[in-house]
Amino acid sequence: MFRKAAIPQTGDQASSEASSQSIETNEQKLWQEKQIEAEKGLVNGQLSIFLRRYVPWALLFIGLVVIPALYYIGLITLGTVNMLGRYMAFAIVAVGLDLIWGYTGILSLCQSFFFALGGYAMGMYLAHHGGPEGIVDANNWKIPACLYVVYPYKVGEAPGDALVPWFWKPFYTLPVTLILGLLIPGIAALAIGYFGFKSRVRGVYFAILTQAITVAGWLVFCMNNMKLCGTNGLTRFDRIAGFQLTTPHVKVSLYIVTLLALVGVYVLCKQVVKSRLGRILVAIRDDETTLRFSGYKPYIYKLFAFSLAGMIAGLGGMLYAPQMGIFTPTNMEASASILVVVWVAVGGRGALSGAILGTLAVNLLYNFFTSEKNLLLFTWRTEYWQFILGGLFIGVVLLFPGGLIDLWHRLVGKAK
Amino acid sequence: MPKVFRIIALILLQIIGFLYPCLAEVDDAFIQSEIHKLASEDAAVRKAAIMTLAQSGDLRVEAILESYKLSEFYLWNGEVVLCKETVEDEDFNEFCLLSDVLTGEPVLDADGKQAQIPLEELEEISPSRAERKLTNSAKFLVRLSSPDPEIRMSGVKKCGDPPGIIEAVPQLEEMSQNDPVKKIRYIAKESLLLIRLSRTSLEQAPDVHLEIVRELGDMKSLRGLPRLEEMFDEMMVEVEALPDFEEGTDIEELAPADEEALGIYKYAIAYKYAINQINSYQGFVGGVGNIFRGLSLGSVLILMALGLAITFGLMGVINMAHGELMMIGAYATFETQRLFGHTPDNPSDWYYVAALPVSFLAAAFVGYLIEVLVVRHLYRRPLESLLATWGIGLVLIQLVRIRYGDNIGVNAPTWARGGLEVVQDLIVPYSRCFIILLCGLCVLLIYYLMNYTKLGLRMRATMQNRNMANSMGVNTQRVDRYTFAFGSGIAGVAGYAWTLIGGVTPDMGQNNFIIDSFLVVVTGGVGELIGVICAGLGIGVLMKVIEPLGIGSMVVGAIWAKILLLIIIVGFIQFKPAGLFAPKGRLSDV
Repeated sequence: MFRKAAIPQTGDQASSEASSQSIETNEQKLWQEKQIEAEKGLVNGQLSIFLRRYVPWALLFIGLVVIPALYYIGLITLGTVNMLGRYMAFAIVAVGLDLIWGYTGILSLCQSFFFALGGYAMGMYLAHHGGPEGIVDANNWKIPACLYVVYPYKVGEAPGDALVPWFWKPFYTLPVTLILGLLIPGIAALAIGYFGFKSRVRGVYFAILTQAITVAGWLVFCMNNMKLCGTNGLTRFDRIAGFQLTTPHVKVSLYIVTLLALVGVYVLCKQVVKSRLGRILVAIRDDETTLRFSGYKPYIYKLFAFSLAGMIAGLGGMLYAPQMGIFTPTNMEASASILVVVWVAVGGRGALSGAILGTLAVNLLYNFFTSEKNLLLFTWRTEYWQFILGGLFIGVVLLFPGGLIDLWHRLVGKAK
Repeated sequence: MPKVFRIIALILLQIIGFLYPCLAEVDDAFIQSEIHKLASEDAAVRKAAIMTLAQSGDLRVEAILESYKLSEFYLWNGEVVLCKETVEDEDFNEFCLLSDVLTGEPVLDADGKQAQIPLEELEEISPSRAERKLTNSAKFLVRLSSPDPEIRMSGVKKCGDPPGIIEAVPQLEEMSQNDPVKKIRYIAKESLLLIRLSRTSLEQAPDVHLEIVRELGDMKSLRGLPRLEEMFDEMMVEVEALPDFEEGTDIEELAPADEEALGIYKYAIAYKYAINQINSYQGFVGGVGNIFRGLSLGSVLILMALGLAITFGLMGVINMAHGELMMIGAYATFETQRLFGHTPDNPSDWYYVAALPVSFLAAAFVGYLIEVLVVRHLYRRPLESLLATWGIGLVLIQLVRIRYGDNIGVNAPTWARGGLEVVQDLIVPYSRCFIILLCGLCVLLIYYLMNYTKLGLRMRATMQNRNMANSMGVNTQRVDRYTFAFGSGIAGVAGYAWTLIGGVTPDMGQNNFIIDSFLVVVTGGVGELIGVICAGLGIGVLMKVIEPLGIGSMVVGAIWAKILLLIIIVGFIQFKPAGLFAPKGRLSDV
């Protein structure tokens, strides 16, 4: 569906084959010229190279040093650092989606599902170590406080037959939680991908299939009798690895860990994209049939990319949960999944840095526009945000397909 | 003086009552005189008065008898008054607030305040214990004589509910033979049997008892089921105490030699037989009912998916705002209702007829706008059209939410309320019948339009080979627009139909329908109407059939049914990736 050779739309009058071909070559020429023009960029020469080389490092420096420093000086609040940390966790998911959507051409609408799987894993760990102490079940397991809501008795009463469910138990220690939080989304992605790709469900069909799976998962996690705390979600987080979550140092460290994880994921994906494997992924995007005819098995590569993206999303969820302090099924709604797509689209898909840029931009916009403001002529209300979001969806597709990263490329040119 | 007025009023009422026999107010004077008799010294008179009141069929009598039971009636200067509350003044003198004897409404004096009488002037009328009991039963009897079959039915039902109103037996017997309504005759007989069942014990009159059990079984009485099961369980305790009972064997196969044991087995088997009869019938009715509900859900899905089959199947456009077009159809119905001023109390049923074209046109218009403004540019980029139309959906939802709030009520027209009882206990709601009909009609219309009209010919030509159609002089752009608007309009009709059976919220499309209907289209095969119909009905019926299944107390339920269905569909796609009715030949490459 991303075939390069766009067949020109013929007008109402029938045109001969020859003329249509000439139009095609003309258009292609124009297109190529535009490409070269675009690759040059506005600023050329040394400046361009300088910008290209140092701006990413500068951004990293700002993220790692300047922002914590600003907080410790007192110029920004802890809430802002925390918020940025959460957006970084989102950006991790977006990078994963960009790998499969931007490079491999698989539009997955279940990234939020994987995100939530990771988030729930971490949330269960945190819930184990939070809430009031000393309430244990018959097997001497501490019952997490948020489970009280779904058990049929009140806080503080724990009759003998109410046990901590078996699937809560592995998430008691941090290392196991970290491993499972990556493995579970990975395996889920593997399963979904296997059934999807093996029977060659492609493009839009795959998108709808994954969205249906997200909705199904959401329904399951919303059920109260699943002992996953229902719509209330996992709450009463208290400590992570022994540290109080509420203390500023822990919050700043979580922010830095998230940022480092983001960098790590970015580097990993960049390596994947640059490698031979990455070229095959792009080939799948551009023409899967031809690739298959030349002896490759596309579904294996797709499976790899898809489960890698799933694990990355799970990592994002794991980093998000402690920073948010609560994890509810709203994080895995169908709309949350599509939101990830719009982050990538706004940032510019097919460029990993674009995904990060887009996530931060859209979320900062969200942060800005979901507070009530008194403008001169009318009051901006929180609910108007949906219009901006809807407009972003439409605008980025119709007017602005290159995304934000395209602006950057226009400025400094595209690296070969 | 007031007495004269009252007599005149009574005479007038009598005349009106003579002219309009259906007006219950006829009996005002009659009831009042009967109430007066309640204050009589003679117990027999009081009893007769209670029974006469009970047989009046006037619903107000229920409240009157209740008041009588609670000793709220008082005698004041030879008149009966109703006093529900007392008040005290500053000197702690108690006063009684008067209420109307017939209606229980407060009686107002000249100042517009509730009339008061000093408590000491009142003489209490307190019923004896037996009378209280009688009153309790009589309250139920009132409904039996009502001219309204609905009220009569509820009364008949109540009489049979435990503990059973023994006083109703003669009347029930009469009704089970002669009531004009068949359903009431049935319920009367059922209630009669239930009352008798609770009064005849197995020890005293085993034959009569068994006969009643057998009859209940023959009637497939759902209301008798809990009672029968209870008695069966009691009997099983005795059966299990027998020496030749073995765990796990079927009691029907046991043939003990012992005379007494044989008797016990006989009774247990009789109970079980009746229970099985009822259960198997209820299973059948439940099954048919589920299939019917599945059909109607399937019909909504089909209506929804038909629109998608046109925009997605034929045009290849992923319209995620399709659910919102459905929502617009539902809100158009709501607006029409407002325009016609239809409310449950003041129905104007024509609004629903008018709402059909309105909802179609409203959704079609919005669909047309979407095509012209957005979708037109995205014909070759399905994934992008998915995103853009999702954005449109968000905007539409928010617009509607700001305009209408989160929840509105569309009131079904009066003819769509209630249902038809096809056979005993199997009720087919008219609304669902209507939806199935509407769906059938739409399918026929689309089939006709696609295959027998010029527009349909052009649509098919454009979808099969755009360039060729173009060169044959078809204005493909215009055809696209009409096709998209038409598909959207069908979604609007789906929303219109949905108002009969479900709630209307701004995000109804996104939450309930869009994914389901895409699954219908994908399962059915893209581009084939027959596929959509089969898949829609299949998914709808499967959903409703899976839902109540279960092992023991674990029931699948709506959510797991949905998930199971999804798994089934994913499995199905493994074998038939292109759906039930895959397009063949070159088209399948699209």
